[in-house]
Amino acid sequence: MSDLVNSFYQNFIEKDRYQYLLDGLKNTLIVTFFAVLIGIAIGFILAIIRSTYDNTKKLKILNFFANVYLTVIRGTPVVLQLLITYFVIFASVNISKLLVAIIAFGINSGAYVAEIIRSGINSIDRGQFEAGRSLGFSYAQTMIYFILPQALKNVLPALGNEFVVLLKETSVAGYIALQDLTKGADIIRSQTYSAFMPLVMAAAIYLVMVIAFDYLIKRLERRLRSSDH
Amino acid sequence: MTTDNSSNSPLIKVRGLCKAFTGIEALKNISVDIFQGDVAFIVGPSGSGKSTFLRCLNRLEEPTGGSIFFDGEDICDKTCNIDLHRQKMGMVFQQFNLFPHLTVMRNLTIGPMKLQNKTKEEAEAKADALLKRVGLSDRRDAYPNQLSGGQKQRIAICRSLCMNPEVMLFDEPTSALDPEMVGEVLNVMRELANEKMTMVVVTHEMGFAREVANRVFFMADGEILEENAPVAFFDHPQNERLRSFLRSVL
Repeated sequence: MSDLVNSFYQNFIEKDRYQYLLDGLKNTLIVTFFAVLIGIAIGFILAIIRSTYDNTKKLKILNFFANVYLTVIRGTPVVLQLLITYFVIFASVNISKLLVAIIAFGINSGAYVAEIIRSGINSIDRGQFEAGRSLGFSYAQTMIYFILPQALKNVLPALGNEFVVLLKETSVAGYIALQDLTKGADIIRSQTYSAFMPLVMAAAIYLVMVIAFDYLIKRLERRLRSSDH
Repeated sequence: MTTDNSSNSPLIKVRGLCKAFTGIEALKNISVDIFQGDVAFIVGPSGSGKSTFLRCLNRLEEPTGGSIFFDGEDICDKTCNIDLHRQKMGMVFQQFNLFPHLTVMRNLTIGPMKLQNKTKEEAEAKADALLKRVGLSDRRDAYPNQLSGGQKQRIAICRSLCMNPEVMLFDEPTSALDPEMVGEVLNVMRELANEKMTMVVVTHEMGFAREVANRVFFMADGEILEENAPVAFFDHPQNERLRSFLRSVL
């Protein structure tokens, strides 16, 4: 027991090493939060381009580029996308690693969010679309007022899952030496030569965040289901 | 029931309307005039093109040939604003197609508020009056999934009426209903007809067509084979296809 207490003291209290975890957590949250925003924005736009093309055959060129983007992003590892963003695309630019990580993870997440939202749009009965159009709503208005609200409700669990995945995926940010939560724990390990305490602590922090996030999503789902009695 | 409309110009003038799906000619060169106050029923075997014809009238189905004049304007012309014309053509669907994420009241008011710049008070007053007429005032705050089929269809009719349409299109409005709920929907439609609302109705309810219509059309294989006033249509059918159709459904 006293071993455990000693180890805890040595890894977190001594020389204020808990700061590595705190700073890392802060960066993890920043990267995840802004990457989610970028992902949602990209995902929405791509989903609408793709389903507009599917329904009306308009936006042919945009649809082509959307498909290329989806294929490349979903077909390559996120670590490589991060490395390429940092060491190739922004190689000659002085740019913060935090920003690079936000951009890379946001672009990555956008591809998955796009497919999730598109599947939600496809899940809505065609009659809903016809009802909106027959009242005189334009294509865009019908999307905004009738299709997307129902589509988002249907895909909320899948979207929540994507954001959980994203939160955990940011743990590879250490590849570009960004000090996120995982990297912070690893720095402590390299200083104290004890692996168990810092790594398990970092894992526990991820776990708590995911559980809390799941709880919030479940509550939101329950509220949105109020029309499904 | 027959009224003399010959002095008016038609509200909807269909000329040479064609619709081809890949491999199938669903509509073959159809020409029809619908006048203000007409209650036009279209009957015929399934697959005859009745619903396709109705859905072409507000271009939910894109015609592949011909023209449709509504209020004197060719709505098949690519430059016309179809959304504006659709506001004046209410449509009622077989599957109701109420918006499940909105309350009954919101289903009724979203069109007038977003498209006709009505205030919430104006739109709700109109909606409340219509709900009262169809006997569903107590369901104004319910969601569609809490309603029976007959209630949903009555609400769907109200939703279209909230836009103050010049014509109402009904696409088999009672076909998805349990038999005991058909009557309540037909009653609403009967009232509309009595108030001289212009209606185009695709239906399998022959008794109702005979009672309410002033014109009945028989469609088969994408063509209108016979048109007549209801008594003559049902008692003295001329076309052989119509005779055998009536023998099989009556």
